[in-house]
Amino acid sequence: MSSQSTNNDASKNNPMVLFSVEHPKLVMLIVGVLTVLFAAMIPMVKVDTDPENMLSHDEPVRVFHNAMKEEFAMRDMVVVGVVNDADPDGVFNPDTLTHVYELTQFAKTLQWPDPDDPSKTKGVVEIDILAPSTVDDIEQAGLGSVRFEWLMSEPPKTKEDALRVRDRALQNPLLRGTLVSEDGKALALYLPLTSKDLSHRVYVELQKKIAEFNGAEQYHITGLPVAEDTFGYEMFIQMAISAPAAMLIIFLLMLYFFRKLTLVVSPMLVAMISVIWTMGLMIGTGNTVHIMSSMIPIFIMPIAVLDSIHILSDFFEQYQKTKNRKQTVLYVMRHLFTPMLYTSLTTVAGFASLALAEIPPVQVFGLFVAFGVAAAWVLTVTFIPAFTMFISDESLEKFGKRTGEHVSHGRLEAWLYSVGEFTYRRAGLIAGASLLVVAISVWGMTKIQINDNPVRWFAPSHPIRIADRVLNEHFGGTYMAFLELEPEQSDPSLAVSRLADDMKKAVESAVESQKNDLPAIETLSKSLLSWIDENTGAASPDALVAALNEKIDEQMKGADFDRQDAWDELRAAIERSALALQTFKRPDVLRYISDFQQKLASVGVVGKSNSISDIVKKIYMELFEGDKDHFRIPDTAPAVAQSLISYQNSHDPDDLWHMVTPDYQKASVWLQLKSGDNKDMEKVIEFVDGYFAQNPPPVPLNHRWYGLTYINVEWQNKMVAGMFESFMGSFLIVFLMMTILFSSPLWGVLCMIPLTITIGLIYGMIGLIGKDYDMPVAVLSSLTLGLAVDFAIHFLSRARELHAQYGNWKDAAGRMFGEPARAITRNIIVVAVGFLPLLLAPLVPYNTVGVFIASILAVSGVGTLLILPALITLLEPRLFKTSSALGLSCNCGVCVTSSVLSVIIIAMNLREFAKLDWGTLTWISAALIPVLAVICALLSRRRACAAPQTESSKGESNS
Amino acid sequence: MKPIVLVIATVTLMFSVTFAAFSQDAPSADEIVAKANHAAYYQGKSGRADVKMTITDSQNRTREREFTILRKNMDEKDQEQRFFVYFNSPADVRKMVFMVWKHIGQDDDRWLYLPDLDLVKRIAASDKRTSFVGSTFFYEDVSGRNPALDTHELVETTDVYYVLKSTPKDAKGVEFAYYKTWIHKETFIPVQTMYYDESGKEYRKYTALAVEPVDGIQTVVKGQMEDLRSGTTTVNEYANVKYNLDFPDDIFSERYLRKPPREYLR
Repeated sequence: MSSQSTNNDASKNNPMVLFSVEHPKLVMLIVGVLTVLFAAMIPMVKVDTDPENMLSHDEPVRVFHNAMKEEFAMRDMVVVGVVNDADPDGVFNPDTLTHVYELTQFAKTLQWPDPDDPSKTKGVVEIDILAPSTVDDIEQAGLGSVRFEWLMSEPPKTKEDALRVRDRALQNPLLRGTLVSEDGKALALYLPLTSKDLSHRVYVELQKKIAEFNGAEQYHITGLPVAEDTFGYEMFIQMAISAPAAMLIIFLLMLYFFRKLTLVVSPMLVAMISVIWTMGLMIGTGNTVHIMSSMIPIFIMPIAVLDSIHILSDFFEQYQKTKNRKQTVLYVMRHLFTPMLYTSLTTVAGFASLALAEIPPVQVFGLFVAFGVAAAWVLTVTFIPAFTMFISDESLEKFGKRTGEHVSHGRLEAWLYSVGEFTYRRAGLIAGASLLVVAISVWGMTKIQINDNPVRWFAPSHPIRIADRVLNEHFGGTYMAFLELEPEQSDPSLAVSRLADDMKKAVESAVESQKNDLPAIETLSKSLLSWIDENTGAASPDALVAALNEKIDEQMKGADFDRQDAWDELRAAIERSALALQTFKRPDVLRYISDFQQKLASVGVVGKSNSISDIVKKIYMELFEGDKDHFRIPDTAPAVAQSLISYQNSHDPDDLWHMVTPDYQKASVWLQLKSGDNKDMEKVIEFVDGYFAQNPPPVPLNHRWYGLTYINVEWQNKMVAGMFESFMGSFLIVFLMMTILFSSPLWGVLCMIPLTITIGLIYGMIGLIGKDYDMPVAVLSSLTLGLAVDFAIHFLSRARELHAQYGNWKDAAGRMFGEPARAITRNIIVVAVGFLPLLLAPLVPYNTVGVFIASILAVSGVGTLLILPALITLLEPRLFKTSSALGLSCNCGVCVTSSVLSVIIIAMNLREFAKLDWGTLTWISAALIPVLAVICALLSRRRACAAPQTESSKGESNS
Repeated sequence: MKPIVLVIATVTLMFSVTFAAFSQDAPSADEIVAKANHAAYYQGKSGRADVKMTITDSQNRTREREFTILRKNMDEKDQEQRFFVYFNSPADVRKMVFMVWKHIGQDDDRWLYLPDLDLVKRIAASDKRTSFVGSTFFYEDVSGRNPALDTHELVETTDVYYVLKSTPKDAKGVEFAYYKTWIHKETFIPVQTMYYDESGKEYRKYTALAVEPVDGIQTVVKGQMEDLRSGTTTVNEYANVKYNLDFPDDIFSERYLRKPPREYLR
């Protein structure tokens, strides 16, 4: 197509482009007004840094997690570790312990008025702090005499006093490994918070206080809440640094390529305006800026400039031919309009498909990036032509490639030309090498390890990572997971008859032991035994106890003292039998838990676990002069109860309710894990499931997990499944679009090849180098899809045009490696280099995004430039036989392919949004597909299709 | 509970203005404390009560304990005194006994008998301000704190109350910085006690919820202790209150811990 025809073809331009060229001022005004409107919404921003919100509020695991936290009064905790390598006694010297004491006192004051409820305060929960000065030590003071004393009521004055604190803590299994490290060198403070979004604030305040100490000890602050909250905080700082840095680099590179500041400014403006519109709309519609959505700008920016680079590239090539900006713009836009529309549509589809993932922040992220990409496209086809109209032709005098000039980009051009040559001559080799890459990638993908850990979102040198490493070396673990246990609901009638049997035995033995003191008991017991038999139909064990108590109350009235005493004994006997209903007072159950905990320690990652069994054992031992033989669960439920009541005679009687509910129907085992990696938590989950299956507890128990470490596993699983589904969805949509765009399933497949190889290679590499498949990696799969297909669309649509022009691929390929290949190469360089600043961020997900965007563009660009021409060379006869100018319905292949794809896509959406299950959907789909195939066959054979087809092929051969 | 607090607050506010006029006739702080100590712990030469203790936590979960208290004064000077507290329920702590020998000038002796461990546990003197059987009451609240351990000052006199501020002579071993007691001017019953931490923040509060005359003696029949930090509250209801019973001295001995004196416990 020659430049002379440009004017005549102006009418073939899209009306949007024409309008923009005709009314540039109006377009600028509209864009300006919209931008101001959207920007005005940005100050309403609400920030949410809680990864827990990755799960929706009504998600069952989350509802359970919150209910259990409430029931066991558990709080999210900040862990402060204190380590002193300079002193041979570690932290147990008067100086360090004085600082620890002061820090604890300071932590108690970290409370602020709650803005929602001025009568309450938020911050550190003073009564639940675990620190040497706030925990009770249970001390020996002779037989049957235990003493509760603060472990460190005041800072020690001498070396001996300091060592005594250590020794006492080490002797207490409840404190050892939790408060004091096993090696007796380090100690940890646990600061529970009213809500975990305060942890960064507490972190900063503690750091300030710590800076005042000038001791030899080091302080390390960690814990998932701190990691999560601090990540959120640093993430926003990074947004303010990385995104503008990326913009600057892209800008400089474009300036280098195109040399014209005024022109290069326009893609920058498109990127910025798209970001402002998107963020404005997102915030304006009431969405919070979450970890995911904070990444929106960084995703939109590269995509927004991609189209502009194609335009500028083409503009650069063409301008000197006409020296007329309007003609050049119209020429460029006419060529690029369809490819740009499709590249944008595919990217939109890729991101919009994230709505298929059942994770609210991911859905928001996907939908708004999709919006941003759409906005960038609209701006590219309106704003850029309008903007160009403001640049005078005089100022463009020296712009662009002059005819015959080969100097400025000669090397790139020559190199690309030789690449083109190579793809034509060695097409088979390239196809073979691609297959090899695919094979390696598949192998790599099988090695992918799904894992995440919010603490690892920080660079290894970050204080939180260091704290995490140091503290988990010293202590049982800073990652908390909790296992809730409760008895299975059993058949009430069975429970009643079992209790009735127990009661009868208890009554008989009470008679036996008391009949000497209370002769009345023997006759009275007969009545009681008969009442028990009468009431075996009671609705529940509790009802049985109540019914019997009522009978005894009646008898007690007016009875003489001896009979009253006898009734008292009998009542005690039946009530004691009913104690078995209090599951977690039962010695057999407590022993089971204790054995289970011992086995847990063998998993490796579980550094320590704490339960009601530990408390009972410790207190029972102390009641018997600290005799090690008594470090066990006593033999009867009342003995357990009386041990526990001794434990409750402490400064914090309610401590017990972190381990068990006051009705003893639910217990909570607190696990300290040394690693917060999801794969490690999963290992523990698997072990526990296996243990409960292989070692049935004395009463059937249900076990369920809660705690942040577990919640992370849950949303990761959802994320992986959701991402796979959304990826499949967008893959199919893109395939459908390509089939329609090129009116040929074969061309559709061709277009999908570089993208499929790119994704395969990237994920294959992840598997091979052992990088964990984590949250950012999962989200990036959709970015890959949207970006990787772009080059193929540009390449293939130009290839078709040029083939039509030259009539054979050999000549067309030569042209392909001119301007089109240069545009693609520039795109790769600009965007890949532009995102290198992300590698400098101290947050790992940002590095990941940076490396990913660069590799995706590089691999898909290279893939496009090598594989596509090679395949076209090989498939030339099939690809270019005849192209139909008729409606799609006449092409049977296109029709069938599109129908099948549409049915699958609709089925996937129905499953997600109408909550239908796959079983039904598969049947419906299976029935629908043959029906559609028959319709397609009929459509393409109808007369309307037959006649003009010959005409069009005639027309084609004429041209 | 609320109305009483409201009344106290209103009364306090109304009369704090005219406090100067009344304070002239007021007895000294130590006299008030002595009378209050008598009214709370030393009425009659002996006494007994059946107590129903209800512990309610911040989640509104409740636990109940029932026990009988026997008390005997060992002198006329409101000093030496003995307590025998026998637990009836729940079933798993039945027959548990808490016994106190209260002394002046030396630490009190406290025992806890755990029947199913067959163990008599001596409670360390340092533990007097730890929880009594898991409730918000302390051991010391059951038998009374020795007034001589604190210095008392009359900070306010209202129409109804003397308000005393008590500061420990030895801050070690106690968790409060000071406490304030609202003592009824006629009966000398401590109607409210508020405990304050080092920063002057209220964290623990006792309230007498109901007072009735028994054998002509004004007696608290319902008392409550709130832990303002944890939100746990314990209410004690006293029934079958009797005074001036003849308890032999020897039932308050270790021997009777294992074999409670049934005839005196009803």
